[in-house]
Amino acid sequence: MNTSMSTKGSPRDRVTGTPFTRGLGILVLAGMALLIVLGLFVSPADVNQGESVRIMYAHVPGAWLAYLAFIVTAVSSAAYLWNRTRSLTWDRIAGASAEVGVLFMGISLITGSLWGRITWGTYWTWDARLTTTAFLFVTYIGYLAVRGLGGTHQQRARRSAVLALLAVLEIPLVHFSVELWNTLHQEASVAGRGTNVDMDGLMLFTLFLGVVVFTLMYVWLVLHRQRSLTLDDMLDDSGLDNALTARRAEGMKR
Amino acid sequence: MSHHLNDDDIGTSADSLDLSPRAVTPRQQRKRRPWPAIIVLVLVVAAGGIVLTKFLTSAIDYYCNVNEIGAKSGCEAGHRLRVQGVVDKGSVENDGVTTKFDMSFGGVTIPVTYDGEPGGIFKECIPVVVHGILADGVFLGDRVEVKHSNEYKAANPNRVKNEGSTSEGTACSQ
Repeated sequence: MNTSMSTKGSPRDRVTGTPFTRGLGILVLAGMALLIVLGLFVSPADVNQGESVRIMYAHVPGAWLAYLAFIVTAVSSAAYLWNRTRSLTWDRIAGASAEVGVLFMGISLITGSLWGRITWGTYWTWDARLTTTAFLFVTYIGYLAVRGLGGTHQQRARRSAVLALLAVLEIPLVHFSVELWNTLHQEASVAGRGTNVDMDGLMLFTLFLGVVVFTLMYVWLVLHRQRSLTLDDMLDDSGLDNALTARRAEGMKR
Repeated sequence: MSHHLNDDDIGTSADSLDLSPRAVTPRQQRKRRPWPAIIVLVLVVAAGGIVLTKFLTSAIDYYCNVNEIGAKSGCEAGHRLRVQGVVDKGSVENDGVTTKFDMSFGGVTIPVTYDGEPGGIFKECIPVVVHGILADGVFLGDRVEVKHSNEYKAANPNRVKNEGSTSEGTACSQ
């Protein structure tokens, strides 16, 4: 290939790690080990829920990080639309963050369902919190599908950016659903409005650690995914180069 | 990171050949229809419709409190209800087939009958949501869900000991 691409190395030879992400990855692993020790062994069982309270240390950080991820997607999408340059970097950050957000939301839904079975006596019920969360989850799966609809990179970016700015409006609805309506799901224990936190100190600390570890994991995942999406796009573009080279070769034969 | 992959970069080394095919967007020529994405989108729209229906028919006002039966619109006796109340102390009876208990909220109490043993962390003095029908003053439940409060206390055996002495009545301490 004698194009500008080949001077920068083939996408296939690139890696997505840097010294920074490697350091961050080690930090995430260490934090996760600490979270497991605190969450599963050191922190106390709950007076009502017993051992199942430990599910909270994955469930709550999962939900919060999903919110954060979807907000980052919206902000990056806005940055893409507002900047004259229409930089695809913003678009790829938005896409990477949404993917990781769907992953975390999935973790939160699965852990919540298991906790519900143990505590409520049912895996699922259609109360306002669970229903709005399901809607949010489905919306962002749709967002990822829209990203895969094809067209040029810029078409993909424009389409999905508009959708991301609409979808993020669901987050306040999900968060405040427990205050707006009667729900089986309990109200916010830590991030509620004007609540004094009614939680054992060590439980609260473990939950806080969970949020920190999940946040670091989110950053690590998004950095890698954003870079691999960049390589995907480069590969697409190099496919275009190949097509052009083939056309040229055809032209030579005639 | 080199993300400046403008279309202009490509073919800069082209010689004098006619490159007119570039006028057509090559991606569309090359790529087949994105069926996986289209199928996922169809499923998403269908699932979204189901969830939205559930939201309108079930999620808004998930339950009526015991004292709202017959007093609040949507809480009329005679059709299926979901009722929330606190299980009265000392009221739970279980003969192996049926569980009977009283539940109260806002000063109103109704007796509940449930075929089976409630799951979850069901016990007295805990708020529950019972699905069922009110018939002759008795609530016939077919589903019991335990509503957890947003309290998180360590299960400290020393602390639990203190409670037994003061609680003989039907009132729950919390």
